[in-house]
Amino acid sequence: MTTATMGTKGTDASKAGPKAPAVDVRGVDIARDGELAISGATFAIEQGDYVGIVGPNGGGKTTLVQGFLGLLPLARGEVRLFGTPVGQFRDWSRVGYVAQNATAFDPSFPLTVRELVALGRVRREVLGRPLTSEDWARVEDALLLMDIKDVERRRVGHLSGGQKQRVFVAKALVRSPDLLILDEPATGVDAEAQERFYGLLGNVNAQRGTTVVMVSHDLATVFCRMSKVVCVNREVHVSPITPEMDEGALLRKVYGEHFTFVFHRHECAYDGVEGVAHRHG
Amino acid sequence: MADLGALGTLLGLAFFQRSLLGGAIAALACAAVGVFVLLRKQAMVGHGIAHVSFGGVAVGKYMVVAGAFVGAAETFPIYTALVAAVAGMWLVTWMRRRGVAGSDAGIGLITAVGFAIGLVVISAAGGFNRDILSYLFGDVTTIGAQDLVVSAVLGAVILAFFGVFYKEMLSMTFDEESARLTGVPVRALSVAFDLLVAFTIVLSIKVVGIVLVSALVVLPGLGAFQFRLSFRGTMVAAMALAVVSVVVGILLSALYPVATGGLIILVATAMLGACAAWVRLGDERDGAAAG
Repeated sequence: MTTATMGTKGTDASKAGPKAPAVDVRGVDIARDGELAISGATFAIEQGDYVGIVGPNGGGKTTLVQGFLGLLPLARGEVRLFGTPVGQFRDWSRVGYVAQNATAFDPSFPLTVRELVALGRVRREVLGRPLTSEDWARVEDALLLMDIKDVERRRVGHLSGGQKQRVFVAKALVRSPDLLILDEPATGVDAEAQERFYGLLGNVNAQRGTTVVMVSHDLATVFCRMSKVVCVNREVHVSPITPEMDEGALLRKVYGEHFTFVFHRHECAYDGVEGVAHRHG
Repeated sequence: MADLGALGTLLGLAFFQRSLLGGAIAALACAAVGVFVLLRKQAMVGHGIAHVSFGGVAVGKYMVVAGAFVGAAETFPIYTALVAAVAGMWLVTWMRRRGVAGSDAGIGLITAVGFAIGLVVISAAGGFNRDILSYLFGDVTTIGAQDLVVSAVLGAVILAFFGVFYKEMLSMTFDEESARLTGVPVRALSVAFDLLVAFTIVLSIKVVGIVLVSALVVLPGLGAFQFRLSFRGTMVAAMALAVVSVVVGILLSALYPVATGGLIILVATAMLGACAAWVRLGDERDGAAAG
């Protein structure tokens, strides 16, 4: 895998073929509240990547993700999802998205884990019709995959932060997306639950080949587990994660000259979760 | 003392059967709408729409008295109430979308304006005396055969809607943005829901009356919420609580000469209290057993 830049795929990138990047960002500026929040971003997220988006608070991570999804207009440039310009992209069942505030809902809402995950299967094609047995089989898979089968009958409002987070990812996964985008899903979750969560997502990435893109504050986890890092502070710097890379130099580009990141690759813990083995670009 | 023999006789009479049937239909519709109304944080919407309906009833009565629509004098005010209710619901939504007034302020506004229109029209007509009271405070015994047909049709439409669009309504009530992204036609379903709220209120007016109808919308849902069930379970529990409240209220009012509408709401309130107490006592028992 190379540091993807504009045009590396030649003519292939313009077709919606299986090898088109999951997300192709070309010379993109995004304005938010009248100010330029993302400037000149050019990079690609290949299918099968496990990508961490990092950067200081207010640096534009959420803005960038919302730009991917067409939720914010682009001031300049182009974003393609699976080869199709985002404005024309209609195949949203291929994309799962968990927003930053997804788990902030009324805890008294009468809804079980199973019911909430099943809502992920609601789509235009089954409007006004009950979910099929195929739909329920997918719900079952997602419950097992996110390790929440044992709480499926419980109310979502009664779950711990870590469980809630996995429920919302299951709701996104139940659509069997090719691309899963998570905006700071680990906020407010204890370290142990976080570690487990990243392990489960690693499984999704490794076993299903799902492209996983996650905004994260946990730099060590990003460099231990993921295949590519996107560093954002208005400017965007992208690099595959390799044993030889200079993490510190990369991070100083967005966190500032005085930022120090002490990271020992050999200390990466994999806690025995299968299939989480680190993939080098 | 209550005369159970007389109750047996009443059960055989057509007007009493119509009362029970019309009451049960209204109860089912109110419960289904009520669960969503509560979750959308619009508990008072029934109150506002009922008062707008009062304006509609008064206008309808006035038109009948003035000699228009002589043919359908009995049910005509129901149709004008329906038009007024739909207009009121539309106005609340419109004011919210345009930033004129938030939901709560909009509901407060239509409550007063609807009632004011009713008062002005009634006084202009020289008063409708007892008849208007049956709309204000409800009178199940005045549910006629035509009323029952209207109720049954509206009730069927309301329940069919929730049967068909159950998962879409749940999805957009829980998270509107995410529902929109997954292709749920949020705007169209919201408009349909507003219409159904209006239908529900109008078909319930004869049962508990304009003043009390919002309680019949809110109480069953609140009672069901106490049990912390699944969404499906909550819906079923709310409907059961509503039907029991209405039927028990009507039967009690046959035994004792007191206002039916008031009894229905008091029964529903007692059941809410019982549900809340029962669940909390259960929690304490569990806590004591665990400790």
